[in-house]
Amino acid sequence: MLKNYAPLIIDGMADAALIFFVAVGLTIVFSVLKILNVAHGSFYALGAYLSVVIGTFLVDHGWPVFSLVSIVISPLLIALTLGPLVERSLLRWTYGRPEALQILVTFGLFLILEDFQKLIFGVQPYAQDMPMQLLGASRIGGIVYLNYQLLLILLAVLTAVLLRVLLRKSRIGKLIVAVVADEELARTVGIDAPRVYILAFSIGIFLAALGGALASPTIGVAPGLGAENIVLAFAVAAIGGLGQIEGAALAAVLVGFTRTAAIYYAPELQPVVPYLVMVAVLIIRPYGLFGSAGLRRI
Amino acid sequence: MTHSKALLASLFLLVAAIGPASAQANKPAEIGVGIFTFTSGPAAAYGMPGRNAAELVIKQINASGGIGGVPIKPVYVDEGQGTDSVVSEFRRLSSDHANEVMIAALSSGNCLALAPVAEQLQMPTFMWNCDTHQLFLKDKYKYVYRTNSSTVPEFLASILYLLSVKPDFKTYAIINPDYAFGRDAGLIVKETLKALKPDAELVAELYPKLGSPSFNTEISRLVTAQPDVVFSNFWGADLENFVRQAAPRELFDHSQAILALGESALQHVGTLLPDGVIVGVIGDGYWLAPDAQRKPQTKSFIESYRQQFNEYPVFPSFKMANTLYAVKAVYEKALATNKDRWPTGDDLVAAAKNLKIETLTGTLALREDNDGLVDQIVGVTKKDVGYPFPIMSAMVRYPASLVTPPVGTDPIGWLKGLDRAMLTTIPKPGSYR
Amino acid sequence: MTLRYTLILAVVAGLLPIEVPWLGFVFTLAVSKGFAALGVAMLLRGGLISIGHALYFAVGAYAVAFLMRDAGISDLLLLCAFATWISAVVGFLVGAFVVRYRAIFFAMLNLAISMVVFSLLSKLYYITGGTDGLRVDTPTLLGTQLSRGMFDLVLQNTALVLMVVAAILIDRYLRSPLGESLGAIETNEVRLEYLGISTRGVIWAAYTTSAALAGLGGAISAIAIGHVVPELSYWTVSGQLVLIAVLGGIGGVPGAFIGAFFLELVRTFAVGIAADAWNAIIGISLLTVIFFLPNGLFGVIQHLERLRADCK
Repeated sequence: MLKNYAPLIIDGMADAALIFFVAVGLTIVFSVLKILNVAHGSFYALGAYLSVVIGTFLVDHGWPVFSLVSIVISPLLIALTLGPLVERSLLRWTYGRPEALQILVTFGLFLILEDFQKLIFGVQPYAQDMPMQLLGASRIGGIVYLNYQLLLILLAVLTAVLLRVLLRKSRIGKLIVAVVADEELARTVGIDAPRVYILAFSIGIFLAALGGALASPTIGVAPGLGAENIVLAFAVAAIGGLGQIEGAALAAVLVGFTRTAAIYYAPELQPVVPYLVMVAVLIIRPYGLFGSAGLRRI
Repeated sequence: MTHSKALLASLFLLVAAIGPASAQANKPAEIGVGIFTFTSGPAAAYGMPGRNAAELVIKQINASGGIGGVPIKPVYVDEGQGTDSVVSEFRRLSSDHANEVMIAALSSGNCLALAPVAEQLQMPTFMWNCDTHQLFLKDKYKYVYRTNSSTVPEFLASILYLLSVKPDFKTYAIINPDYAFGRDAGLIVKETLKALKPDAELVAELYPKLGSPSFNTEISRLVTAQPDVVFSNFWGADLENFVRQAAPRELFDHSQAILALGESALQHVGTLLPDGVIVGVIGDGYWLAPDAQRKPQTKSFIESYRQQFNEYPVFPSFKMANTLYAVKAVYEKALATNKDRWPTGDDLVAAAKNLKIETLTGTLALREDNDGLVDQIVGVTKKDVGYPFPIMSAMVRYPASLVTPPVGTDPIGWLKGLDRAMLTTIPKPGSYR
Repeated sequence: MTLRYTLILAVVAGLLPIEVPWLGFVFTLAVSKGFAALGVAMLLRGGLISIGHALYFAVGAYAVAFLMRDAGISDLLLLCAFATWISAVVGFLVGAFVVRYRAIFFAMLNLAISMVVFSLLSKLYYITGGTDGLRVDTPTLLGTQLSRGMFDLVLQNTALVLMVVAAILIDRYLRSPLGESLGAIETNEVRLEYLGISTRGVIWAAYTTSAALAGLGGAISAIAIGHVVPELSYWTVSGQLVLIAVLGGIGGVPGAFIGAFFLELVRTFAVGIAADAWNAIIGISLLTVIFFLPNGLFGVIQHLERLRADCK
């Protein structure tokens, strides 16, 4: 019995894990900065590219084991350099302005980052699967699985738990929650809101880049990766409710499972599934599974 | 007096000098050739060898005087920008009279889009790589030629080889990219097996999007279904990614794989494959094939390619090179026929009609419906001490006439009518050496 | 002012290709994108951003392909009329439930639907040609089959005429109560409802009209290129339409067309000079316009007109 469903469960969870990383970053950025970051997928792609490049460098110079480290270094580098830079130079001018404008600014950023990525990394496809090879494979129910995929599932769960703990228990987390709840009041109490914004944005793109870096050993990295992933991230974040971390996790699992099930039972529908689920959920619950309505002005 | 005589004399000489030149006055300074291939994105892994070969061959042709004394000026178009941009570029290039010939395209989808446009614009177009049998199925073209084979002979050859090495398999699965080329192949494989081995059971048929980065779930699906045979016509980065992701999952160890375009990836990911995987070159463009190794021009091409690009030329390189030499042959025939003028587009297509030439790797014959006839080489992977990657061994060279449907027949109908008896008469694996 | 500037644009776009023939193709595509961007601009007036309008562009384009292949219709004007009609119907149906949402959720829902259609168009290989798309042969004109060169000229000028006609009609619409209410929705929706005007109805009407416009644009584009692909419904195309609307300026109808011409010209020249940088060039232009010219290129023209009027 389990043997029949094991592939479905494992593949579904592995798919969900990767989707979760991208979507949760987007939802955090929306929650704190109230901006829908169209360029989010670009950070996913940059994370993947940088991880492959660093990993290949390490492998070529005889340190294959450290290619696992490249997966963590790459998103850190991206978040530390691009996070404050983009937030300070671009996003801060859009706070309080109409959504259409904010979406367009991040769309402009997406266009610029697409070419920036081509400029630095070129247009040829890349691949670096050493981390995947290092971890080997296991046999579950007679079928061989990559240990790397199993690790991904573990990491995703860990991240979800860590984020929750961070936001509820740590000092930084409480500052973020305060700013989200009522920014003006938070400022009045002496919280440095602009710093919180930079931090939240950096965390958001760190998670996106981490998603890309984690995915990179199991995929081919080529132009177009960012565009594909942003719309998937949108779908998942919207399904879960924009700004809700638990929602993003649940939505990721939902989309991961339905996509995997589609490949087994209705392969022709596989690409349509995330968007069908999104339409279905939004019709029943317009603000997503865990979202809530905003205020209307009088 | 002498002054004006000298003047008259020099004027006379000037006119005399210009005189004969004006008989070839419409000889252009350069021949503009549009070359369409993928130079970005996942498909570039297959498209760049094509572009590299074009650069090498054009440099060599121009170094020995060009075509009819005129150098070739290539204009490269990246198919990675999407079909509608490719069509727009084709239109834009055609409106410039400096461009006389188009070599397009790599992707079957782009060929199907460009063929009617080429016909509308009356631009001679030589399809160097795409092989969808749908191209000449319903439409007759005057200006469009295909200088390579079509999907029917290519995949029929793979299946014939399979039936030669593993005639008793029970189940099979197909995983191809989701567009004309992949769908064509799926149909051809199914129909061929229905005719030649009706008891074979299809257990999974998957068409992931062309350029998908990850096939992990599809691979799980395949591994769960445990087919005896897995057929795939993946190419480019898709093929490389598929091999990288499937090898550790032991797909190639438990199933007989047929990677119809496999040779193009051997130098990059071949070490991940076990011996015995059936691979092809969809044509005859294998650098280690006996015919290629026998011809001095080919050996020198291989050596120049290796020196310039640090790897051996794969079959897309040969498709491009052979097409360029075919175009040169067309021009030379047209120039010989119309001695007094530079060939027009109509002269070129008239010269291309029923052309038969020696290529770097065998022969190419263009038939009445403008489709190309090329032999098919299929073999299996085998590790070799001479190279850091596996080579093709136990090869068969299927003659074009054996595996290509005749002009005017419905290709799929022809496949349905194949006779099991042919299995006893076809060349055996290892017969090509 | 709308009429004046649209006419100027139409005349310039009609005459330039006589000198530089391949510009004709570029201008035809610019007009087609302009129609779709005009649809997006209308909704932006109401404070609604649709990042899924490429859906209707694709509906119009594929409608032409299917009509030619399956219904045997080959006349240029009939194809445009039917495609516009079909897009309007789809817009009407989708609008029925999309108009209940505002802001981000309106945007997301439009995005989702356009991606569902994109995925279906890509996957249903035997109906839609899948990722390879469908061919669109040269249409006939009043029964006669013209040469492609002649036809391209006719198409270009038909598109320009339609542009002027649409500009006048939409300008009228925006000055009518339905149109003015649209602007009022952005300011304060609840107040409008207290006045007795159904905001849902106003938005629904605008949405359907914008879908029709985008469908017409898609139809012209399909005929000009001769080929339709699922990418016409991809979210980046929707993003471009919003970009064009904002670049050109939503304050006046010509803005959408001015933005479209600007974008197509920049793209054509950038691809020739710096093929791998044209996305960045457009991104930078967008950011420049957003921060320094918030009313878009047409806004600059409007500003100049006002200055001129003040000086009198």
